Amino acid sequence: MSARSIRISGTALGILGLLGVVALHWMVFFWVPTESSMGIVQRIFYVHVPSAWVAFMAFGIVAITGAMYLWLGDDRLDQAGVAAAEGGMVFTTIVLITGPLWGKIAWGTYWTWEPRLTLTLLLWFIYLGYFLVRRSTDNPQQGKKFAAVVGVVGAADIPLIHISVSWLRSLHPDPVVLKPEGPTLDSAMLITLMVGLLTFTLLFLGLFLIRFSAESLDRKLQLREVAGQPQEA
Amino acid sequence: MTYLGQVWAIVHKDLTIEFRTKERFAAMASFAVLVGLLFHYALDVTVVRPQDIASGVIWMTVIFSALLGVGRTFYLEEEDGAMSGLLHSPIALDALFVGKFIANYILVAMITVLIFVVFAGFFRLNFGGHFVALIGIVSLGAVGLVGILTLFSAVSSRTRMGESLLPVLAFPLLVPVVVYGVDATTRILVGRPLSEVAGNVRMLAAFALLSIMAGVVLFRFVVEE
Repeated sequence: MSARSIRISGTALGILGLLGVVALHWMVFFWVPTESSMGIVQRIFYVHVPSAWVAFMAFGIVAITGAMYLWLGDDRLDQAGVAAAEGGMVFTTIVLITGPLWGKIAWGTYWTWEPRLTLTLLLWFIYLGYFLVRRSTDNPQQGKKFAAVVGVVGAADIPLIHISVSWLRSLHPDPVVLKPEGPTLDSAMLITLMVGLLTFTLLFLGLFLIRFSAESLDRKLQLREVAGQPQEA
Repeated sequence: MTYLGQVWAIVHKDLTIEFRTKERFAAMASFAVLVGLLFHYALDVTVVRPQDIASGVIWMTVIFSALLGVGRTFYLEEEDGAMSGLLHSPIALDALFVGKFIANYILVAMITVLIFVVFAGFFRLNFGGHFVALIGIVSLGAVGLVGILTLFSAVSSRTRMGESLLPVLAFPLLVPVVVYGVDATTRILVGRPLSEVAGNVRMLAAFALLSIMAGVVLFRFVVEE
């Protein structure tokens, strides 16, 4: 794929994602029925769950591109890793904001040591380490390798962290879609959630591709500066 | 030189340096004792039962002391340029990691024994008949702890942020050690049957395995120029 086609597909996916976000919010505010036990506050679910899905998917991309970067040493893999990590950190932050907002009304507290909450907070810190370690090396090649190591070890450890923090009884609502007996969600709610998941995935992929091509332009520019060539616009 | 010979060369070198300078041991040991002393004033043991909070206090002291000592694993090498010497020597890079890990583990084990003895005195803990089980739990937890810290101290020592980056990188990953280690230690201290901690032992073993594997596989990418 050429740099130009990556930029175009990134922009197209981003625009589709943005249109989807508008449509999703219309559905959340005007179309989907109100959940009977939690009331109006449950509507944050359609933003919260898709953000969490994207946050963990992005971390998967960070780990896979990190492992492949260490193995193959192709700079594009590192560009993909950093683009996914930035998107992932944004969506992890959205999860950490929407979760407590809902929790304050549903549980009566902004924060509780609930497993999924704790895991997301730890994920946020792993992302933070990923960026800190990249930026604090004098040799950028080393920073890329260090970040990849953080991504790979983080991904390997996340299942163990998840088991350990889930060990205490969970307060979090049980899954309503992915369970053996099939979804128990009202069909309008399920459709809204699916639109949310699709929209956030498109938006993330759009941002990911745009960020990826920006990163590769930036690196080309740096190479030219090092080589002392005149910069082109 | 065989693989084990290479590992032994590193362990021997690190422990000899430590034995002669006693820098890291002195820092870790005084830290551990002083933390115990500060905890004595920070916690009112007439309100809470010592055996209920001791395991958390002991584990956090072990982790912080380990952070202090293990964080300086590669400090000497980086300062004197000895790291490039090591990298140019015909030693396998994973053997270098295993050697560093073993030397660190011995250091942390000595400090852990000290912490147990001192905290038992400070908080009047009775380890009872389960002393061996306690040692087993802490030794197993320390494998995972030291493995992760050794790998990431190689990372942090090569960054501008240095040792201050180590907790940011390592602490989120150490959650399983704290959860299962503290829980198993509390159960043993309050005299629960040993069968109750079998699950904890399995999880600590899984974490130890993960941390050693991660170190052995990824260490080369951290130190290679």
